[in-house]
Amino acid sequence: MDALVTFATDAANWSGTNGIPTRLVEHLMLALAAVGVATVIALPAGLYIGHTGRGQLLGINLANIGRAIPSYAVMVMILPLALAWAPTFGYDPRLGLSVIPIFLAMVLLAIPPILVAAFSGLREVDRDLVESARGMGMQERQILLGIEIPLAMPILVGGYRTAMLQVIATATIGAILDGGGLGQFIVDGIARRDDGMLYTGVILVATLAIGVDVGMSWLQRRLTPRSLRPGGTARSDPAGALEPTAAQGSAA
Amino acid sequence: MNGRPFIDWDWILAHLDDVVEKLGQHLMLLFIPMVAGFVISMALAILALRRPGTVGPVTLATGLLYTIPSLAAFAVLRPIFGLSLWTAVIPLTTYTLLILYRNIVAGFRAVPPEIHEAALGMGYTPRTRLLRVELPLAVPLIMAGVRLAAVTTIGLVTIAAVIGADKFGGFGQFITEGQQTSFPTKIYLGGVLSVLLAFTVDGVLVLVERWLTPWARVRAARG
Amino acid sequence: MTQPTTRGATVAFDHVTKHYDEAALRKGAAGAVQDLTLHVPAGTVCVLVGPSGCGKTTSLKMVNRLIEPTSGRILLDGVDAATRDVTELRRGIGYVIQQIGLFPHQSIGDNVATVPRLLGWSGARQRERADELLSVVGLDPATYRDRYPAQLSGGERQRVGVARALAADPPIMLMDEPFGAVDPIVRDRLQNEFLRLQEDLAKTILFVTHDIDEAIKMGDMVVVMETGGQVAQVGTPAEILANPASDFVARFVGADRGLKRLSLYRVADVPLETAVTAVVGESAVAVRARAAGAQAREVLVLGADERPIGWLMADDIPGEGTLGPAHADPSSPLMDRRTTLKDALSMLLDQDVGSGIVIDRHGRLRGLITIPAVMDWMRDERARAAQDADGPTAPAGPDPDDEA
Repeated sequence: MDALVTFATDAANWSGTNGIPTRLVEHLMLALAAVGVATVIALPAGLYIGHTGRGQLLGINLANIGRAIPSYAVMVMILPLALAWAPTFGYDPRLGLSVIPIFLAMVLLAIPPILVAAFSGLREVDRDLVESARGMGMQERQILLGIEIPLAMPILVGGYRTAMLQVIATATIGAILDGGGLGQFIVDGIARRDDGMLYTGVILVATLAIGVDVGMSWLQRRLTPRSLRPGGTARSDPAGALEPTAAQGSAA
Repeated sequence: MNGRPFIDWDWILAHLDDVVEKLGQHLMLLFIPMVAGFVISMALAILALRRPGTVGPVTLATGLLYTIPSLAAFAVLRPIFGLSLWTAVIPLTTYTLLILYRNIVAGFRAVPPEIHEAALGMGYTPRTRLLRVELPLAVPLIMAGVRLAAVTTIGLVTIAAVIGADKFGGFGQFITEGQQTSFPTKIYLGGVLSVLLAFTVDGVLVLVERWLTPWARVRAARG
Repeated sequence: MTQPTTRGATVAFDHVTKHYDEAALRKGAAGAVQDLTLHVPAGTVCVLVGPSGCGKTTSLKMVNRLIEPTSGRILLDGVDAATRDVTELRRGIGYVIQQIGLFPHQSIGDNVATVPRLLGWSGARQRERADELLSVVGLDPATYRDRYPAQLSGGERQRVGVARALAADPPIMLMDEPFGAVDPIVRDRLQNEFLRLQEDLAKTILFVTHDIDEAIKMGDMVVVMETGGQVAQVGTPAEILANPASDFVARFVGADRGLKRLSLYRVADVPLETAVTAVVGESAVAVRARAAGAQAREVLVLGADERPIGWLMADDIPGEGTLGPAHADPSSPLMDRRTTLKDALSMLLDQDVGSGIVIDRHGRLRGLITIPAVMDWMRDERARAAQDADGPTAPAGPDPDDEA
């Protein structure tokens, strides 16, 4: 415990490239960027599948595959490829050893939760409602934006919550490749047998993850239209049972 | 990495016994947490039946445990338990809790109320009803949870290898060793084998579920 | 069917009251019951009927203690239900609910044998009993015993529900809208079959429904309850219909209670008239003479087997030759002695004829039933019902031609 306190209170650890704030920012930036890229890929596809109902089987299988692939494995498997592509894409090969595989792994692992949340959220919307809207003359795009997405919000946000946790966890592991972020404290702490650093890293990482989870859970509740909010009764959880919203992929 | 072929098949063939050893390790790190996690979750879920008030706090607690990135969880135990199996097994178990607990509770809740009433009215004691009626009917949701938990655990074992040096980690050890020695064959071997294991276990569990629920295979004749 | 070893038990409600407190009401508790006192003799079908919230289901559930009374006692064969072990109590009472509640994960055979299994019967005896009961409710055991509930239609599942309740041969059966979940045609059939069954079993049945027609049809004893858990009237179906005790009962029974009364009686109760008949193949001249002699405006043409074919107007009898089937107009409805007067009259109206042809179970002519005859008989019957409140006069004794 003293080691922890020693490390955490040392001012030197709060500044500079290896300082806590820097690493925190690195971690978050990486996470947000990865989720952003994953959104571009997964969200339109998920919305399409959800709105039209086509390709659900494919979507579900993709999600299953995504769950089965360990993040660590993905990262490390991309590494040689990332190195090999350096000349082609013209980036510094050293990045190919660290950030690029990590980032690509994060994107890949963020895709399934967003994809599944998008289409299952849309699928949960009462089809009769959509049909009557169509019958009233609303166009497909209006239905999607005006009805389906708002009603699917809780599940959508839930998917993003999962995705964020997933990428935060992956970025943590990325420290193995010297990718920076808060995970670095853990990895370096082990390598240098510095328990203080190790524990600090653990607490920081855990706090970040829980903080993001709580924040997004609040967001999820806020964005649920009042009428859909569960009362005192427990919500049956058909989507959650196969894809527990908070829990889908953050174990990484 | 240049000069050598990308995947060294000869090496793989020469080290098949290594593969088997790692498989055994990986499976052990799958079974122990799953069994422990299942027992704990089932106990908590049965508690939830008697005291619905516990569902909230338990979900919160297991959720909290789940949210912590695994690397941190493994790492934090390492100074305490060193390189013994506990460092890996404890977090692996806690990661299964949320999934299993939620799914078991959902499974029990999915039993239609008229079945409860009929069972009670006919003279089932609460305990027999749990065993003979509610549990079998909860199997589909429970098995969904078991599958998810199993696949997740298999993935997490690979991460344990990062902390485990050469003591534990199953196929994950191929990955770490391959990375440290810049030997892509090992990396890919570890990764691919992990995924294959996950799919196989998932497939086996699907078969187990089908075997446990003969009534679900039957197509409804009429409404 | 093996001889029932258990006759019905008596059920008595002794000032039974059920109140719900605020919290329970918010959670959606069923209706309250106010000071219910009722004596149900053994072997009676007692129907609790009333609008929603009248406490009929609550009363039912207090018998097998799914709900406990706030005050008062329920006595089964004189024994206070509250003093008995609740599990043992429930295993001795058959329970059928509207949604049936068949266990989806068990075969039909296992479902039916539920209570025997709980009671510890041997496997062979369970199977035997299950098969027996499936036959009794009209389902072939060989076909159904290994199927799963999901494979059965609604009507079939209802039958299994009844079979399951009968499995341990309980002296008392509780039925809560048991036929509510099926369509009217199936419901009618199930009701008839159940009544036939009860003739053999003579169990004490407590039956809950919101449908007054069902209550009239099924009940030996009808208890009309009003919202708030009060009893509005207790009596036989005939009494309730003939003499409703209050405005509420009169309204609940419906303005058409005159017609409803008709459904209590059967063609067999009413004296039949004879028809002037002619058989196919007879000479037209002979038939003409017969018709003239009886001053009949029409003649009923029968086939060689004494089965009615149709009416022939006296004016249309051909002058010569023999009568053939083509001469007859087959528009008059055929009914048997079991047909209720209500259905009989309905058929007459439908075909716009003045009399209905009554046949026996082989299809042979028994006589004619006419509207005036029915009206006369009903008038007499009402007077009888008002005098002795013991129910309708016994119907005509068993007809040797009819099946039991």
